[in-house]
Amino acid sequence: MSQNIPNNPQPQSRTPQSMYAQGKVFQSTTPLPVSTVPEQFVRADLEFIDVDHAGPSFEARVFVNNPNANMNTPPTEAYGFAGCFNVFGHGGCFGDPGHCDVHEKREDSFDPRLSHPLIPMKKVVIATAAIRKAVNQRTDIHVTVVPIIKSWTEKSEADDILRFDHINLITYR
Amino acid sequence: MASLTVRKNIESLTPAELQVLRDAYLRLQSIWDNRGYNYFAGLHGIPNWYCNHHDRSIRTLQNLRLFLPWHRAYLLYFEKALRDQAGPDPKIGLPWWDWTSATSHTIGVPAALAEPAVDGRFNPLSRAAIYAPAANPPIWRWTRRFPGDPRWLPSAALVNSLLDLSQFRDFSIQLEDIHDYVHGWAGGNNGSVGGDMGNLGTAAWDPLFWSHHCTIDRIWYMWQLRQGVNNISPELLPVVLQPFSLTVEDVLNVNALGYEYAISKVAIR
Repeated sequence: MSQNIPNNPQPQSRTPQSMYAQGKVFQSTTPLPVSTVPEQFVRADLEFIDVDHAGPSFEARVFVNNPNANMNTPPTEAYGFAGCFNVFGHGGCFGDPGHCDVHEKREDSFDPRLSHPLIPMKKVVIATAAIRKAVNQRTDIHVTVVPIIKSWTEKSEADDILRFDHINLITYR
Repeated sequence: MASLTVRKNIESLTPAELQVLRDAYLRLQSIWDNRGYNYFAGLHGIPNWYCNHHDRSIRTLQNLRLFLPWHRAYLLYFEKALRDQAGPDPKIGLPWWDWTSATSHTIGVPAALAEPAVDGRFNPLSRAAIYAPAANPPIWRWTRRFPGDPRWLPSAALVNSLLDLSQFRDFSIQLEDIHDYVHGWAGGNNGSVGGDMGNLGTAAWDPLFWSHHCTIDRIWYMWQLRQGVNNISPELLPVVLQPFSLTVEDVLNVNALGYEYAISKVAIR
């Protein structure tokens, strides 16, 4: 089959820098008592459980004990920056109605298909330095997550994009 | 017996090698059946959604981390299709884009993958046409790309830190996150619309996708050299990487797949 490619390719100049926007910030409602965190560890992870990835692509900057953090806050240890995770989003639903309705694994044990592509995922931020700082200072742990939207489509939402179930703090010795 | 294909850094390709690559991409992009570029791009997201990212489950609730094996198979099939269009003695392999390099941290996407035209001719490494009539709404346009500030591309130090992670799952999660970041960086937006690399559904149409994933595959290869070729959960080995006729076990050794990342081998006695 031959195709008539739509207009051009007229050269576009080297592209300008992207413009990013901040999404709705997450604040943990109840600080994690520092007394529940072991004093000795070699690595500490913040696990984000059941992160939604159906919408835009974004970077999620994670701050510990900096509730005022926003997308302009320097991502440095001095500002409580713990690390980040990134979501390569599906950009909204481009299928027919129901295509992106997530169904849990079917009960049928003879069904060989993989689970739905939009099953929420787990993201892991290695946050050893930030957690160690909180432990050393004996301060309870409050987490702020700032989503910075990178790319989207006409089918994806633009603001309330950061969705997950909960955060686990995991330490390793 | 055929020799191994060497996948090279795109910054190191000669002008002649780049021309062979552009010619092959152009031919591939002009084929609209299941040998062509549009077909392979459509396997990743829109309209077929075969790609594997993060954990997926099959039959049981056990999580399967197929991100790296699935994309290795995907690149291999694409590379075969590309070589089919590269003449009777194809030497080309997929080039990898080292987004940690000094050049990338200065100009962003390398010129070979960014310049819209070379010697007055369309550069098929800079963009491709998306034809997805089954999408809702149908898509029929050129790919878009709005990369970010080059200084914010991942560093070599960050990548090297991953090579020390000893568990496959741990390594895969962290590498996939860097992969996700680069997709968002490369796709970006112009204030009103996003770039295709930043959206899973259309990412594979952007020619940059293949060289980005070639780098991801190379990092896995480097990790395997350090942590073991067969360092992966045994339960993953028999899983078939649909729609390709390869299992996870089949894709662990890149030499067995017919390609290589090393550019020289010297015996020392």
